Amino acid sequence: MKILSITTATNHLSVALNDGDKIFEKNEEDHRNHSEHLDPLINELLRENNLTLKDIDRFAVAEGPGSYTGLRIGITTAKMFASILNKDLVGVSTLAALANGVSDGVIVSELDARNKNFFAGVYRKVDGKLENLVPDGHYHIDDLINKVKELNLPDQVIFVGSSIDKHHDEIAELLGSDNFVQAESDNQIHAGEIGKLALNKEAVDPDKMVPKYLRRTQAEIDWHNKTGKAFGSDSDYVEEV
Amino acid sequence: MTKKDIRILAFESSCDETSTAVIKNGREIESLIVATQIKSHQRFGGVVPEVASRHHIEVITQITKEALAEANTTWDDIDAIAVTYGPGLVGALLIGVSAAKAASMATGIPLIGVDHIMGHIMAAQLKDEIEYPALALQVSGGHTEIVLMKDPIHFEIVGDTRDDAAGEAYDKIGRVLGVNYPAGKTIDEWAHKGKDTFHFPRAMMEDDDYDFSFSGLKSAFINTCHHADQIHEKLDKYDLAASFQASVVDVLSHKTIRAIKEYKPKTFILGGGVAANHGLRDRLAEEIEKLPADIKPKMILPDLKLCGDNAAMIGAAAYNLYKAGKFSDENLNADPSLELPYAESMLK
Repeated sequence: MKILSITTATNHLSVALNDGDKIFEKNEEDHRNHSEHLDPLINELLRENNLTLKDIDRFAVAEGPGSYTGLRIGITTAKMFASILNKDLVGVSTLAALANGVSDGVIVSELDARNKNFFAGVYRKVDGKLENLVPDGHYHIDDLINKVKELNLPDQVIFVGSSIDKHHDEIAELLGSDNFVQAESDNQIHAGEIGKLALNKEAVDPDKMVPKYLRRTQAEIDWHNKTGKAFGSDSDYVEEV
Repeated sequence: MTKKDIRILAFESSCDETSTAVIKNGREIESLIVATQIKSHQRFGGVVPEVASRHHIEVITQITKEALAEANTTWDDIDAIAVTYGPGLVGALLIGVSAAKAASMATGIPLIGVDHIMGHIMAAQLKDEIEYPALALQVSGGHTEIVLMKDPIHFEIVGDTRDDAAGEAYDKIGRVLGVNYPAGKTIDEWAHKGKDTFHFPRAMMEDDDYDFSFSGLKSAFINTCHHADQIHEKLDKYDLAASFQASVVDVLSHKTIRAIKEYKPKTFILGGGVAANHGLRDRLAEEIEKLPADIKPKMILPDLKLCGDNAAMIGAAAYNLYKAGKFSDENLNADPSLELPYAESMLK
């Protein structure tokens, strides 16, 4: 099965073709200019492998968390490919993909969400198989470390992600410096890992796929707090006229 | 031999409407789907960009299929894929741009990026044939411009607002009157029930350029209401609406008629969301009717349902670009502050 994978969730743009055990991956630090660079990079990857989009069996994409605008570029692209070509579409957690690039162990996978907040999840990887221990969410650093402590892990925890360097001392203070290590990784999301995780995931309806932002917009939160009204579902607010 | 029909599938997502359409030969709407988010943004009193972007991605694949199905066509019959790439909200624009580029890659059908303002003006092409040179008054929540077109693809701004757009002023004074966003339609209705008793200023009306300013009018309006509040005087909301609208319509029509006299276009077009305003439509029709026969342009008022944002107008504009061979490539990006070029007289 040929899987084309995309991540535009962070500054790092990555696309990959997974075909059996072979992975062809292309990466670019394009500083969130994904809209300009994504399609040319996919075309380059396909050309080098003598393929067209029609040869792809399954499209996989980082479905969140991540930069809201970034996620939408990759997801819109993957949704349209799958919808038009009538192929499988699979969404993979950005944090699972990040964790999957790390060696076996218990892994805290995180993206910086500013002001000592993270988008984070905790995973266990055994013999290359990934299991989720703490669900992906938006956590303050104190909450995240408490959740890790509650797991009562016998071994050191591996941290991977974009803001580990920035928060290293704080994590050491909260968790104890002997209790964690930084992953030997470039801390980036790699599309090849998305492709690996997408192999055994169930395909979803392209019309239904939306980013997993893990946070409501500030406008909605303010409105909810002010009016006390329920958030409602998306279909309450968009209507064809 | 009959000429082959050209079909364009168009996307529009620059603000709070997600829209797709199939347009035949730049003139005929074979399908038009508009998913509006107004109900969502009414919670906040105006469009919240992040919320808008979130809604766009929910419906994009669904409404693409619907546009093809309603036109009773398939990708095989589509000659070009068009998309608004600016101006607008960047996150919102990016949904349409990403979708159109992905569709172009998946099908091999060429891509055409379209300026949103060019699209609004070309809503007229779906109503009637435009003869060139043409002149347009483009009025919406984001723009107030007089645009000169020497042919279907060359557009030049000859007049622009120096501050607020006319539609923006409607929404702002609407808020003072307790009218929910978007306020234009209600203010227009109220204006018809009242009289111009407040005589608000007509900014820049006698200046010899074609520029506009609406922030002074907005301030005068708000001050009048606040002053009345302070002295516990109740003002007639219909007269307030009528007085506000009279000022807007006076300035817009005065400058437009002067531009028509100078540039002598064969066609005059009213475009943009405020083109749905009956006060403005009626006044312009009346003033143009009074012009001498040798300079009286044909006037095209777009259908009311095509005044707001929609993909049909983008498909119409894209057809002209298609004919001129103006295609975009795979690195097309959203440009939130895209501007039509200014005429040389504007640059001095």
